[in-house]
Amino acid sequence: MAAPEILRNLTWAITTLFEIILFSCILRRRVYRSHPVFALYGLVVILQEASAAFAVRYLNPHSIEYFNFAWSVQAVVVCIRWLAVTEIARRVLAGYSGIWKMASHILVLASAIILAYSIAVSGARWDRLITSADRAVELCIGAFIVGMLLFARYYRLAIANLERQLATGFCLFSCFWVINNSIYQHWGSSAATLWEVLSIFSFFATLLIWISAIRNATAPQQVSYPVPISVQMYGELSKELDSRLQVLNRRLSHLLHSQDSRS
Amino acid sequence: MSLPLLLFILLAVFLVFLLGLAAKSPKGLPLTSEEVIDALSQERHYARLPQILQSLREDDTDFLRRRGHLELLSQIRGERKRIALRFLHYLEKEYQLLLEASRILATLAPELSAIGEYERLKRNLRFVLLCRYLRWRLRLGLQPWNAFGSISDMAGEMTLKLEMATAQLGERALMAADFPSFLNKGRNGPE
Repeated sequence: MAAPEILRNLTWAITTLFEIILFSCILRRRVYRSHPVFALYGLVVILQEASAAFAVRYLNPHSIEYFNFAWSVQAVVVCIRWLAVTEIARRVLAGYSGIWKMASHILVLASAIILAYSIAVSGARWDRLITSADRAVELCIGAFIVGMLLFARYYRLAIANLERQLATGFCLFSCFWVINNSIYQHWGSSAATLWEVLSIFSFFATLLIWISAIRNATAPQQVSYPVPISVQMYGELSKELDSRLQVLNRRLSHLLHSQDSRS
Repeated sequence: MSLPLLLFILLAVFLVFLLGLAAKSPKGLPLTSEEVIDALSQERHYARLPQILQSLREDDTDFLRRRGHLELLSQIRGERKRIALRFLHYLEKEYQLLLEASRILATLAPELSAIGEYERLKRNLRFVLLCRYLRWRLRLGLQPWNAFGSISDMAGEMTLKLEMATAQLGERALMAADFPSFLNKGRNGPE
């Protein structure tokens, strides 16, 4: 057996072991109650490894059947990953109805633009369509998570450490997947082993982040979200605050323009 | 490597960089709405600055130059610089307080206008950048004395308007039936 293949099998085995550890942590800490889709994702990645082992054992890795099987399973995994990410976003933002409505529209729109751009620049290479689409979706997931965290930071929303680290893991994995995928598209099959090893390593790092997040997670608390005020009251308060911000801004502008006219 | 591929890699790296910024917990606990209303209702330090600035007009120091008291003139100019920087500091502080209030308000809003929030963000960025720019100009010795003089002329009226707006804001907020329910928002966040 060649050295790269041994390394690949070894990392594969270790990753599978850590996936099992992650899922057992999910069960032991009862994370499936608060994050059912993430728990499902934890289970699905284990099943993906099992299905990959099955495919390698019974199908020719260079056949079209193997290709179709592997990418079909991957499509299911990516869909569940998307759902797990939206589950986290909902847990972070949905308690704030105004922010959630606005952020969800913006994030979905931004994701759609990124998806359209990614597919458009990939060209009409049908042989690369699947990897291009896969990369586009991963880029969307990464941008969605970063956008969500930026919204939460801007509005100073409290995020539980578990949500923060799960989102970080998803985002890092997606970004590294995009980089790996681009490397693979550039160097082709000559970089296949490197691509595979890098993918496994990035997923391995993500698994470590998730396991650590779940192990350190405290029992979920009853979150007290603010009760929304009426649209009318919000409008009035917001208008007043805006007018005060404008006054301060004008004051600063006045200061600057006087200075400029003098100098 | 083709440009689109390079762009994908750069975009992914940029996302990782943004993630590093966005995933950090904000410094300090966010203010509660009670603290914001309380702070808005108090008299702000900078409200007294018009009177201070009035005494710092350009013509106030002209006679020193004419009489050759250059050392005293430079000392007064140093003081002016310090006061001008303090003015900017308070202006910025109040701006941040208002922004904090608008963020708390956003968490209570049944719906938000993306354009309105974008305008506020843009205004905030502009304000922060202008403040930094002015601060550096002042530090480099390019003091906008005349500007401070004219500000002191208009500040009386401005301050009155601000005080009225603050009082209204405090009153309306306290009158809202739902208001107490979010007083401890941010302290009871999920952990």
